[in-house]
Amino acid sequence: MLPLAWKDDLTTFLPEEQVKIDGQTHPLGNGGHVTVYPQTEAEISAVLRYANSHGKKVCIVGGGTKRGFGGQMECADILLSLANYSGIVEHAAADMTVTVKSGTVFGQLQDYLAEYRQKVALDPAWPQYATIGGVIAANDSGPKRLGYGSARDSVIGLRTVYPDGTVIRSGGKVVKNVAGYDMNKLFIGAMGTLGVLSEITLKLRPLPKYESLVLLSFPSGNLEEVRSFAVQFLDSMMEPVCFELLSPSLSERLIGKRAYTLMIAFEDVESAVHYQEDYVQRLRPSHTTIRILPQEEAKSFWQTFYTIGPNGAAPHEPAGNEVEAAVKIGVVNLNVISIIRESELLEDCCHVHMEAHGALGHGLCQVYLKGSEESIITAIEQLRAAATSLGGYAIVKHLPFALRTRVNVWGEKPSYFFLLEGIKRKIDPKQTLNHQRFVGGI
Amino acid sequence: MRKTAIQTKDPHIQALARIVGGEKSILYKKEDLIAYDCDGFTVHRHLPKAVVFPKNTEEVAAIVKYCHDHDLPFLARGAGTGLSGGAIPLNGEVVISLTRMKRLLHVDLENRRAVVEPGFVNLKLTNSIADRGYYYAPDPSSQYCCTIGGNVAENAGGAHCLKYGVTTNHILGLEVVLPNGEIIEIGENGIPDPPGYDLLGLLTGSEGTLGIVTKITVRILKNPEAKQTVLAYFDRVEDASQAVSDIISAGMVPAALEMMDQTAIEGVEAAAFPVGHPKDIEALLLIEVDGISAGISEQINEILHICKKRNVREVKVAQSEEERARWWANRKTGFSAMGAISPDYLVQDGVIPRNKLPEVLKNIRAISKKYGLRIANIFHAGDGNLHPLVLFDARKPGETERALAAGSECLQVCAAVGGSITGEHGVGIEKKEEMRFIFSDEEIVAQTDIRDVFNPKNLLNAGKLFPTPGRCVEMKQVASSIK
Ligand SMILES: Cc1cc2nc3c(=O)[nH]c(=O)nc-3n(C[C@H](O)[C@H](O)[C@H](O)COP(=O)(O)OP(=O)(O)OC[C@H]3O[C@@H](n4cnc5c(N)ncnc54)[C@H](O)[C@@H]3O)c2cc1C
Repeated sequence: MLPLAWKDDLTTFLPEEQVKIDGQTHPLGNGGHVTVYPQTEAEISAVLRYANSHGKKVCIVGGGTKRGFGGQMECADILLSLANYSGIVEHAAADMTVTVKSGTVFGQLQDYLAEYRQKVALDPAWPQYATIGGVIAANDSGPKRLGYGSARDSVIGLRTVYPDGTVIRSGGKVVKNVAGYDMNKLFIGAMGTLGVLSEITLKLRPLPKYESLVLLSFPSGNLEEVRSFAVQFLDSMMEPVCFELLSPSLSERLIGKRAYTLMIAFEDVESAVHYQEDYVQRLRPSHTTIRILPQEEAKSFWQTFYTIGPNGAAPHEPAGNEVEAAVKIGVVNLNVISIIRESELLEDCCHVHMEAHGALGHGLCQVYLKGSEESIITAIEQLRAAATSLGGYAIVKHLPFALRTRVNVWGEKPSYFFLLEGIKRKIDPKQTLNHQRFVGGI
Repeated sequence: MRKTAIQTKDPHIQALARIVGGEKSILYKKEDLIAYDCDGFTVHRHLPKAVVFPKNTEEVAAIVKYCHDHDLPFLARGAGTGLSGGAIPLNGEVVISLTRMKRLLHVDLENRRAVVEPGFVNLKLTNSIADRGYYYAPDPSSQYCCTIGGNVAENAGGAHCLKYGVTTNHILGLEVVLPNGEIIEIGENGIPDPPGYDLLGLLTGSEGTLGIVTKITVRILKNPEAKQTVLAYFDRVEDASQAVSDIISAGMVPAALEMMDQTAIEGVEAAAFPVGHPKDIEALLLIEVDGISAGISEQINEILHICKKRNVREVKVAQSEEERARWWANRKTGFSAMGAISPDYLVQDGVIPRNKLPEVLKNIRAISKKYGLRIANIFHAGDGNLHPLVLFDARKPGETERALAAGSECLQVCAAVGGSITGEHGVGIEKKEEMRFIFSDEEIVAQTDIRDVFNPKNLLNAGKLFPTPGRCVEMKQVASSIK
């Protein structure tokens, strides 16, 4: 039994029922001996102030979907859960902005906004589990990033609780703002290593009047053909919100067709969507097969799509001693084709199951792996080698704790690492928050 | 060719001259320096120590290292069109002019990116790729002369940023000379989400206080298939503001949604690009919709419908590219057009929630009355970014001060409705005290802490962006009266 006498300190500023001793370690790590459930910003502040002045390490969790993303600590002193810190603070519907508490489940926020025919223009994984705070802190983005951008393009203001308990506002509630440094950017994707996001203000987009998803499969397996179609299409004036290549394995799972498949989504007024579908029809090579999912069918496809990767909040127990992993790769746009190809080759030589997709319009790929521990580690190394040989990077977005100590989750430190370290040192000198969760052990 | 010798004994100037390769790349005589004593914000002036014109990153790094090692203040300068005083050498800086680093280094249409040197002029990028149907989206009205380096520093916006975003949404990579002379590259190969804190996002809009940008990778876009532009004249400014709110809340995302009030119209009609706007209307809207041609007419019809519902006097759709271009030239030269009706003018740059437009415009009219100065409004209504132009005559004693006070009060009004003091022109010298309208002391320290990481000696562009500690009692009072 751990000596947790200090647990009682917590109940001097938190109600008893918001403090729980957690006996078990989690296979994904990033836990805490004590879990606290603040319900207000003041309580978040109080927890951090306490931890920071008593040398306690704090790990932050929202919905837990990204629990396997980074982190060298199996168990911090305190796990700060934002599960009970949720709700909409302000929705300026006519101004198309919303301010929301960070523990709000992303899908619930979207459902609420849908009643106003509005949305947050992000489409992260596991929307029914992930919290908006976690999505922003981990900078998660989905296939529609091509059309709508990522967290850095949607977030216009933050309230962040610093490790010493101070609340720092950045940005504001207006859609355009250059007053002072753009501090929002520091916290987006910082994996909670600089502060606890408390409230998030986002600009909204109207829900599209009409949408469809075109699935274009290339049974020939000829990637040159995929490339030449993509280059021609992207050089046209069409405006897809998503233009992603699926590996044959992923295509098989999603649409039952083992072939390279392009996912091309359109969202606009109905006439404009049909016009673009027709354009694809005219441009596509004759032996490709095409499926067009209109409206509800597209929506339901996306709901499935958002759950294809591992979910740290509900790890399905893979058979035997198999483990799951997810890798995000960034390369120059069209090099995505090489990465998808590489993932297919590695599947055979590393004896892992791999599914991959990547955006030809911006260069980000996601690769999901299943296999034995050793083969997963080899495969990750090979994927990283492929990415770096193309001038890109690979980061491991999901991996059990035990394996995270054996691979470098974030890859090589950037040459300007001293700046990242300097920022961390200024804001969190005692390394209270999410210690070792980020690049270079920050 | 005979090299002219440097005619000064100042060892720093001699050393800097050696770095940039001689007399042709440095100015140090008073008469040459006067042109660099201010930027587009002309209320403050100060002479630099010298102006150097490096040709490449290595020269920039060597200059910076020299200044760093010898404790000489320094700053970067692009075209000098900044409107908040960011390039003014307040401390007698060595001005590093990037105007000779103006090459387009690389265009990769397939991967939608271009690499430019910082002195490359914004509009030249679009002009260089237009024949292939591509363009660079951020379009500040000064785009015919401002530099992309300056745009990065100010996170410049423009009329079409409503739909396409401001500079920060289009930057994929930067090469930066840090204040100690070290060269770093962020976002190598322009690949998004490089692991680590988002330094691209932090540097963009840092007003040249964190480093000097020497190379920029930008995203380029394909031209929209179709565009249509609407001009709507309103008898009442309230109706025009309501139409703006209606368009936004109807869920439309026009490419641009611009507004001018009566005083502004008087100015643009008296200047170089008149369109024939009626002088007796209170406001006009210039609205552009772009995208897939099949979808445009539906959106235009909805806009026309909204304008009619809001009692528009006359509304028309541009019938030709020539007509559209004339409307835009009239709008984009709007600031300088004020020169036609006033000896001097001061541009403000507040931002407000879009549904607060009627209320705020009313308050600005009251400020105009209070100070006895005309205020023209010409602005990006779609994203709530106001540009009140305070018209004044600097020759009249006290009028400059009154204009500054009126401008500051406009920002107070914006802050009071939950807005910001600047949407695209930056804080610079001009608005540094007004930072207190929206940020607490702790929040300002949080920002200067970040500056200290990059610029610990604070030799690079010091005295900008942040309020002077201890000299801001009145500002604090104003700020607390807002809260
Ligand atoms: C008529 C007119 C219309 C305008 N319209 C708009 C508009 O619509 N939207 C808008 O956003 N702005 C507008 N502006 C403001 C101005 O043009 C922009 O802020 C522009 O981005 C400044 O670019 P510049 O090259 O002139 O920079 P400068 O004025 O030379 O410098 C501006 C700041 O950037 C820093 N800087 C310059 N280059 C670098 C570099 N390479 N690295 C680091 N720091 C650097 C300087 O130190 C300074 O702090 C307008 C200005 C005028 C005069």
